[in-house]
Amino acid sequence: MGRARIDIRTIVPLALLAVLVFGVPLLSADRYLLKVLTFVGVNVIIVTGMALLFGYAGQVSLGHAAFYGIGAYTSAYVVTSLGWPWLAGVAAAIVLTSVGGLLLALPSLRLKGHYLAMATLGFGEIMRVVFVEARGLTGGPDGFSGIPFPSLVGISIDSAGGNYWLIWGVVTVVLAFSANLVRSRVGRAMRALHGSESGALACGIDLTGLKVRVFVISAALAGLAGALYAHVVGFISPSTFSLHVSVLLVAMAVLGGTRSLAGPVLAAILLTTIPFADAVIPGLSRSALETIQEWQEDVYGLTIIAVMIFVPGGLAGALRRISALGRRAG
Amino acid sequence: MSLLQVRSVTKRFGGLTAVDDVSFDVHEGAIKAVIGPNGAGKSTLFNVLTSFDRPDEGSVTFDAADIIGWPPQRIVRSGIARTFQNTQLFEEMSALENVMAGAHAVTKAGFFSAALRLPWTVREERDVAEEAGRLLRLVGLGDWADSYAADLPHGLRRLLEIARALATMPRLLLVDEPAAGLNTAETAALADALYRIRDRGVTILIVEHDMGLVMEVSDEIVVLDRGMKIAEGPPRLIQKDPAVIAAYLGEEDVDEL
Ligand SMILES: Nc1ncnc2c1ncn2[C@@H]1O[C@H](COP(=O)(O)OP(=O)(O)OP(=O)(O)O)[C@@H](O)[C@H]1O
Ligand SMILES: [Mg+2]
Repeated sequence: MGRARIDIRTIVPLALLAVLVFGVPLLSADRYLLKVLTFVGVNVIIVTGMALLFGYAGQVSLGHAAFYGIGAYTSAYVVTSLGWPWLAGVAAAIVLTSVGGLLLALPSLRLKGHYLAMATLGFGEIMRVVFVEARGLTGGPDGFSGIPFPSLVGISIDSAGGNYWLIWGVVTVVLAFSANLVRSRVGRAMRALHGSESGALACGIDLTGLKVRVFVISAALAGLAGALYAHVVGFISPSTFSLHVSVLLVAMAVLGGTRSLAGPVLAAILLTTIPFADAVIPGLSRSALETIQEWQEDVYGLTIIAVMIFVPGGLAGALRRISALGRRAG
Repeated sequence: MSLLQVRSVTKRFGGLTAVDDVSFDVHEGAIKAVIGPNGAGKSTLFNVLTSFDRPDEGSVTFDAADIIGWPPQRIVRSGIARTFQNTQLFEEMSALENVMAGAHAVTKAGFFSAALRLPWTVREERDVAEEAGRLLRLVGLGDWADSYAADLPHGLRRLLEIARALATMPRLLLVDEPAAGLNTAETAALADALYRIRDRGVTILIVEHDMGLVMEVSDEIVVLDRGMKIAEGPPRLIQKDPAVIAAYLGEEDVDEL
């Protein structure tokens, strides 16, 4: 709360977490596990933006899969078809999704009401059609393949472990910046507008400007995640960026709880891993996994309903209660 | 010239004229009250002065600038702060954070500088926290800094909103019914706080039904009835004004006048 004090009790768990996260490729050579965890990292990047947008600024987007897709196709196209360097592709993805986010958010956030949710829903559908129909750019329903691996200083990052480190390195930077942001004047303004729009206006907060900026950031993060995904996986197709994915992203933000980054991040890890449960649960039988995948939507739905009923405030609420207990004990 | 000039302000809601051709001045350093029966248009007037509502006619000049049409955040930056009849606190933030949020318009950290946690933003945060602590003590909430606004006793919520408004560094503070729901001791503490605020050089415009408080603190009173200004003057003249007494006839407040 404004104090720049470094608390040993937060540093030690964070350091342990970092060692654990970055140690995975050293402990396990299981390529499937690393791929699943890399995909988890991609979703964590998107959900961080959703947490800022939904949990802090109180806005709902039903079209973030579209930004995810625009990021993926943009970088895939300029790198594979135009021969741009990989980092330039990522930059192009971020720029294009930022501009797209601005153009979508400005008009819909100027109006009072749920125009943003409607506009993003429509945008998501339009982009889904574009991904399928703009064959020359996107490869159409068959998808876009042959996307080169990321490379740094001329060295291609083509191993599962390398991709894992790359993605989780980006996750770390994104989370660090976001954590700084939510603890700052800007984060306070976001929580304020979530608490009372009239109160926020009376504090001189430019509500529209703030919401638009947060939306642009969340769109850019989805674009960044899309670009990373495209190069790490090497193949993209329209189904990866459907309405279904947009809804799943909202579900992660809701399940995670408001005014928190840790809650939505946990939710992203949880919901992303469910269909790949066999990667983290060693003895899981093939038929059990197939059942989970078949009932995936229902598992999501039930998980969310159960959390809403039994865990007030979502995962963020649970985390707050645990840390309050810890403080009382310690 | 006076700090605030309200000229022929009219605000209609459909067929209802909530504020009807109202004009008055507020002089720098004064405590001025706006009184009138329920529905007289007092809160609507505040909404017009802070751009929460746009008037149909008339002008409002603050510090020599015509402020009609300015967005609310620009009004705040120019030096007008307000509280609400129905408190608009940030319930899930601490009292200190509520007041720190009030400093939004007078601080600078933006998305980039905050995400990078540049050293000047850390200093700015620290200064804002200190100033917010001082403002909480000024209104008598020094012991409540870490409590959630939602956990504050009813009588203190309005004081917190006043502290938050002061954090915008206003020259003019608009307070809408700050004494509503307060007991006698709390009202006395409120009056003290208002004097301390005025002594810091903040001009105050107060809407209030508690006639004891109004008569005690205000230098001048404007009386509205059904949107129209029916009287203006110092408290002792307003108390005797036949039009004011007539407006309040049938209202419980008439005994107190
Ligand atoms: N947004 C609105 N839409 C329609 N009518 C409104 C609106 N706001 C206020 N009014 C009406 O305008 C009139 C003045 O209301 P206002 O709230 O300004 O009165 P007030 O003097 O503050 O009353 P009180 O002492 O009860 O707070 C009332 O008749 C009210 O119903
Ligand atoms: Mg009122």
